[in-house]
Amino acid sequence: MLKIDHLSKSFGAKKVLSDVNFKVPNGKILGIIGKNGAGKTTTFHSILNFITFTGTILWNGEPLTEKDYDQIGYLPEERSLIQKLTVKEQVRYLANLKNMSTKEIYQKLPVWMDKLKVKGNLNDKISSLSKGNQQKIQLICTLIHQPSLIILDEPFSGLDPINVDILRNTILEEKKRGAAIIFSDHDMNNVESLCDSIVLLKDGHAVINGNLHDVRSSFGNTNIFVETKLAISRLKELPHVLSVIEEKDGLYKLIISDEKYGPEIFDQLTHGQYIKVFAQQPPTLTDIFKKEA
Amino acid sequence: MKKTFIVLKENYLRQIKSWSFITLVLAPFAFLIIMTGISYLEAKNSSDNDQIAVIRQVKKSPLNSYELKKQGIDVTSKYANISAAKKALKKDKIRGYLTAKTENSQVKVTYVGSSNLDNSEKQGINNIVGKYQQILNIRQSGINNKQLKTLTRKPSFKQKIQNSSHASSIKEISTMILIFVMYFILTTYASITAQEIASEKGSKIMEIIFSSMKAIRYFYGKILAVFCVIITHLAIYFVGGWIFFEVAARTKSLAPIIKKYKPLIDGVIHNLVSSSLLYVILGVIIYTILSALCGALVSRAEDASKATQPTMVLTMVGFFGALSLQQSPNNLFVRIFSYVPFTSSFFMPIRLVNGTVSPLENTISLVILVVTIVVMLIYIGKIYGGLVLQTDDVGLFKSLKRGISTR
Repeated sequence: MLKIDHLSKSFGAKKVLSDVNFKVPNGKILGIIGKNGAGKTTTFHSILNFITFTGTILWNGEPLTEKDYDQIGYLPEERSLIQKLTVKEQVRYLANLKNMSTKEIYQKLPVWMDKLKVKGNLNDKISSLSKGNQQKIQLICTLIHQPSLIILDEPFSGLDPINVDILRNTILEEKKRGAAIIFSDHDMNNVESLCDSIVLLKDGHAVINGNLHDVRSSFGNTNIFVETKLAISRLKELPHVLSVIEEKDGLYKLIISDEKYGPEIFDQLTHGQYIKVFAQQPPTLTDIFKKEA
Repeated sequence: MKKTFIVLKENYLRQIKSWSFITLVLAPFAFLIIMTGISYLEAKNSSDNDQIAVIRQVKKSPLNSYELKKQGIDVTSKYANISAAKKALKKDKIRGYLTAKTENSQVKVTYVGSSNLDNSEKQGINNIVGKYQQILNIRQSGINNKQLKTLTRKPSFKQKIQNSSHASSIKEISTMILIFVMYFILTTYASITAQEIASEKGSKIMEIIFSSMKAIRYFYGKILAVFCVIITHLAIYFVGGWIFFEVAARTKSLAPIIKKYKPLIDGVIHNLVSSSLLYVILGVIIYTILSALCGALVSRAEDASKATQPTMVLTMVGFFGALSLQQSPNNLFVRIFSYVPFTSSFFMPIRLVNGTVSPLENTISLVILVVTIVVMLIYIGKIYGGLVLQTDDVGLFKSLKRGISTR
């Protein structure tokens, strides 16, 4: 388990992280979200010991040491591989640095290439691969040594929907294997579908921190989805409705000031008659992000 | 240690397999082969018409091909008479022809040719016919053996070479070679090292690597790789040079030159493997470390040449200073700079060659150089991660300041 307590970091006079706390148990996924510059990458760099910081970062109850590096799989924000090398040479180099034997690498590499559906051969130069396939090779470099702690900085950026699904499934498999996973992403759907818990960073402060379900519930069931023939202007006039968004033809999302007004709005919309859709739910992560980040 | 070795191996193999390295190493060999080929073809084309035909007009001609060749004259005896030789001369197949006959106990030699005989050829011919003429003269004069002995007495001539000046010139040549080799290596590899590190810095691959090992260990692997590449480069030249001399020593046209300069070549090679070489090796290491630091300070590979300016300035100071002051080993600047790291590798060999430095002074200079290298390795290794992981273009000094504060 990774446990972070009172993590703070300043660059000169600028405070980038301020008293951040969270933990990631083995077999769980934590999503770190926040606007650009909120401190996500700095958090990752602190865990990886790239920079000095104040606070404590413990891995299985002990500070991270050099011998723990072999248990870490890290995918940085921007993709970068050595273009002159072949796929085989690139993966061998980085996996060798994780103390994996060349024999084992060559046994596992074709399996991973197949699993991630990489279009290319082992002896192809990295430079000859498409951007998406280079990204998959980099993911193989991150995961081939079966790390116990996986840090993925915006792993979905630049991937098409099919590859997003492949990556999502791979992350879930790693979770099932028992790895503690932290990742950041700007697409809240990915975060919502993968994470067990989230940390929302705002100017270096963790403004939201906890189990994803609990976090959403803490905002109350303030979203009402309704399918009606009423005009949007009529919906806006309903009491306690803060805003109305047309999701698609005839389906609207109403944001209300408090969940307790749900039954009252239901009565007003139905007047005792049948209504096709009426659902009262907590806000989505995207709504929370827009409100809090 | 194991990971440092992986970095060393990976970087070393990548560099020596690159086209830039292969071109850099092979260019002088290609030049040498082309020049030798051209000389060979020229020599082959001109070998026939450079020959002098020897025509034996009389049975007991004093001139014969064997004796003439012994004198180093390129002759042929394939033309039996003057008319055949004349035809060959006209067609430019030979340079000329040589005839000799004896009339009234006097040897008469005639040379007909398209160009003059040079002095050594004239001397060679005179040596042969002179001896023959002397035999004829003795026969005709009728002197007894005692008189003959007196007349043929020769003056005594002895030649003594002073070893010290010869050795000194060998050492001077050795020093010049060391200084030039070092200048060549530094100007070549300073920019390559800085370029390599600057291009790595611009990519996120360093973050992946530093998530596997400490930056300081990576830095050591990188420096060792560059050093091994330089050693490989020099070893290829050394082996190539050795093969060239071995082949040249067996080549007809080059063998006399190699034979003539063999003591000098042997002396220079012997001197190259001395404590001066140690200064060069340590010099290469310290400049490589500085170049690596310079490369780590810029954010783009294109700026690497700008960043290597401090290295280049120091190299220029050392190189031109050593060239202009090599005859003044006791000059104050030479004495001071022979202790200063970066310049000691250029200046101390001058003092060593001239024997103006005691073993203690030599040791002090070496210790200063080694300690500086160790301190630089440790310090730059410690801030290397901080320098390489920042990618903002903020200028050299600000970048250095940030790198130091990050760690």
